[in-house]
Amino acid sequence: MPSDGKPKRRKSSRKKSELDSALDQVGDETVAASMKEFQELLAQAKGDTAEQIRQNAEELERRLVLLKNGEIDKEDFDFFVENQKRDLRVFIDSQPAQSQERAEKLTLHILEIAVTKVVPVLIAMI
Amino acid sequence: MRSRGHTVELTRPNPHPPPLPYEGRGDPAGSRQAMPLHVLTRGTEPAQDREPNTPRPMNRNTPKNFIVRNVFLCAAAILITSCGTATFTKTGSDATIESLRNFELAFIDEFAVPGKKFNAAAFNAKVNEGNAKFQQAIADEKFTARRPVLVDLKGQFDADAAHLRSKASRGKITPALATEMKKDVNKIYDHALGRQT
Repeated sequence: MPSDGKPKRRKSSRKKSELDSALDQVGDETVAASMKEFQELLAQAKGDTAEQIRQNAEELERRLVLLKNGEIDKEDFDFFVENQKRDLRVFIDSQPAQSQERAEKLTLHILEIAVTKVVPVLIAMI
Repeated sequence: MRSRGHTVELTRPNPHPPPLPYEGRGDPAGSRQAMPLHVLTRGTEPAQDREPNTPRPMNRNTPKNFIVRNVFLCAAAILITSCGTATFTKTGSDATIESLRNFELAFIDEFAVPGKKFNAAAFNAKVNEGNAKFQQAIADEKFTARRPVLVDLKGQFDADAAHLRSKASRGKITPALATEMKKDVNKIYDHALGRQT
């Protein structure tokens, strides 16, 4: 079970992505803390050994950048998140019980933070 | 010689020794030695209790062995045939899923075009065609474990159609939307076919 393995975290040496650069601009301390938590979780998911967790994180990041750049709107973003959730539920259910919580944290939980906390920040930046 | 109720045992060589070897059941000693000759008279052992003094032509387990062997062969034949059937069924099912994928990708290509005027009649006709295809695929699916997968794919098609209708009817289609929709379609179909994307 791939998601059981330790995540390959590339913490400090990680090259800043376009999304990181945008989220680092947040001034408000409370919001900045949420963004930091999101960035750390996303980095953890992108370095996970499970293909589906990695793929989900990469898709989410790509779509957040598309949203920030105005190439898709919030409706499109929400639609894609629903697609991702539908696909992930099957994946999480197929994981062993002890891995499900972690898999859920690195997939559905990240999507939730993105929709509720990150998207409003990115839309405000447009 | 009449001797009621008695068995007269004479000793003389067996004139008809069994062929050697006889499936390992013949007398290994060669039966050339003198052996007692049982002369049966009325009142002695019943016929069914008599010890045969010649080897049996067939082991009493032989018919049972034939039955066991035939049952085994039948079971093996059924197993091989059913495996073949399952493979064909799965292959046919894969082909159906690929056909649905191609239909859905073509549907996105046709209607997720930035700046294209939305044609509601054409859109509805295509959606109806898609619904019929999915329903037919679900009804025809012999591999019952695959039915929920097809139902999920139908759910994705419904969601795609609803989002495309909403966006295209307001002229809000972007190239990125079409690209991302097709990526999602390919991903969900790959997962349905058990492929890692």
